[in-house]
Amino acid sequence: MANEIEHADKKNLKSRRDFLSRVTGAGAVVAAGAGLPNLALAQAAPKPPADPAGTISNEMVKAEKVPEMQYHSDRPLTGSVSAEHHNFAVTPSNRMFVRNNLLTPDLSEANHRLTIKGLVNKELTFSVAELKKAFPAVTLQGMVECAGSGRQNFVPTASGTRWLPTGGMGCPTWTGVRLRDVLNAAGLKPNGAHVSGQGGDFGVIATAAPVIRSIPMSKAMDSDTLIAWGMNDAPLPKVHGFPLRLVTPGWVGSASIKWLHTLTVLDVPFKGTYMDSSYRVPRYPVRPGEKMPKDAVSTEAWPVKSMITHPAPNSVFKAGKSMLVEGRAWVGEGDIDRVEVSFNEGRSWQRAAINSGGDKYAWRIFSVEFVPRQQGYTTVLARATDSRGNVQPMLTSWNPLGYFWNSIHRVGFVVEA
Amino acid sequence: MMQIRIIPLAAAVAAAFFLFQSGLTVTPLAAQESEAPRTLTPGKGVELTTSRCVICHDAQHITRAKLSRDEWAFNVKNMIERGAPITPEEVPPIVEYLATYYSRDVAPPAEETGAAAPSAEDPAQKLLTTNACIACHAVDRKLIGPGFREIAQRYQGQGGAPDQLAKKIRDGGAGVWGATPMPPHRHLADADLKLMVGWIMQQK
Repeated sequence: MANEIEHADKKNLKSRRDFLSRVTGAGAVVAAGAGLPNLALAQAAPKPPADPAGTISNEMVKAEKVPEMQYHSDRPLTGSVSAEHHNFAVTPSNRMFVRNNLLTPDLSEANHRLTIKGLVNKELTFSVAELKKAFPAVTLQGMVECAGSGRQNFVPTASGTRWLPTGGMGCPTWTGVRLRDVLNAAGLKPNGAHVSGQGGDFGVIATAAPVIRSIPMSKAMDSDTLIAWGMNDAPLPKVHGFPLRLVTPGWVGSASIKWLHTLTVLDVPFKGTYMDSSYRVPRYPVRPGEKMPKDAVSTEAWPVKSMITHPAPNSVFKAGKSMLVEGRAWVGEGDIDRVEVSFNEGRSWQRAAINSGGDKYAWRIFSVEFVPRQQGYTTVLARATDSRGNVQPMLTSWNPLGYFWNSIHRVGFVVEA
Repeated sequence: MMQIRIIPLAAAVAAAFFLFQSGLTVTPLAAQESEAPRTLTPGKGVELTTSRCVICHDAQHITRAKLSRDEWAFNVKNMIERGAPITPEEVPPIVEYLATYYSRDVAPPAEETGAAAPSAEDPAQKLLTTNACIACHAVDRKLIGPGFREIAQRYQGQGGAPDQLAKKIRDGGAGVWGATPMPPHRHLADADLKLMVGWIMQQK
């Protein structure tokens, strides 16, 4: 049997190579799974369903998530919970959104290495254990939000994953070492201005481009930018980047490279599809439906945003009885200055209480007590303003890839007599 | 932080849109959005588009959105950068298909019969086409996966083979024919699986 499989492997590989050269007109390409440990053999048993060698199945990922999580696509896997399922001070791991570009790799902590190279005085390589030993560990709470979070709200439909109207983000705690400590240990050359991270995820076909994105040095040197191995006081779940990931809190999630194995110090931003074709926004609003202008820029920090996490839409309350409206507000740079709520569709606004303080890139919790007087359908709107005076818009400017949706959130509930 | 300069035209357009939608992030009444179709609309270019695109991502990445021709062209270019096995000659017919059947600006033509998709007359073959089976399987030779004939010959006369094959198509697997995995196709109805397996078993 073993020989037969081995034989079939070779034939299959050859035919796959033939197929790929036929369809691409290019030379030989090796199958994605072929260079990896042959876990497929071990997975030949009927359960769990076999997935590409060296990967974690979607079923295994979903088993660790709450039933409230909705999945927006299976290949690649994306999923999130909407605002009313986010009413936690710290996002539990089983509610953290999932956004893969490729498959979920099943990496080994013992074999994993992180290399720092490029414009450094000394190229360094660490095992996870060595990294933990070499630098002080920090734990902090920080936002990670997909650039396309809320994309479903854009009219007309913008290209990309159909994220729910709310909830494509999370604010767990992260444990790791500061990226700047590691970069300083390697020693930056004077022209080092950007840092790219590369993840160890791979695609169904061998030609799939690796996920590489870069951040400017200012963000790399931020005290809250981490190389993390922990999430909510536990090792990173496999789908969230085990054993190592970047965490660039406040910035678009794609900058927080999962399954991180290589950091490269560069003089210019990394050139590649995940920088130059995806995760870009126009410098100025374009007519809805128009294509991306040539001078578009890479997505970086999230603009000011908030969501109402309680009440849940359509929940029922008693007239004359006090209720608590709660929510979260955050911004990718700066701080939240205030959150206002309106119970009359924006005719008048009142200040909500905010728990200011907390980690630099953690969301702020806001709340306001409300006594509904009138029976019927009642709505609450929330609008945050950041420390630079930016306020959430009524309507986020349309952009071709549907990024940075941050319009005012509105939730309706029912008041009974 | 992104600097937004409001230009008058965009402001006017934004205002126009505001008349048609709330402009707010409104949690919808039904929590579950209606699901995008899992197969591509039949029409000229559907086989090519399915076989090149649905290897790496599900068809819903196409069916969930109606876009302009420029945006589809951008998406195809982007996917080639990301590693899609599409030759330069295949780009125009794929963009043409996408811009015809998933256009924001123009209604798709009424469903074409016969000529556009000759294999679509047989319901089993139609299923094999729309589910991208033919991206990896041919009848008489190996592509990424084994040929349908080879499968039929291997399983011929084995009791329970049809059920086993149906399960294989639904759940995916690896190891029988080689390391390259067969992705799962869990959305397929039992009746459709039966049709497909029946057709495959006839290819001996």
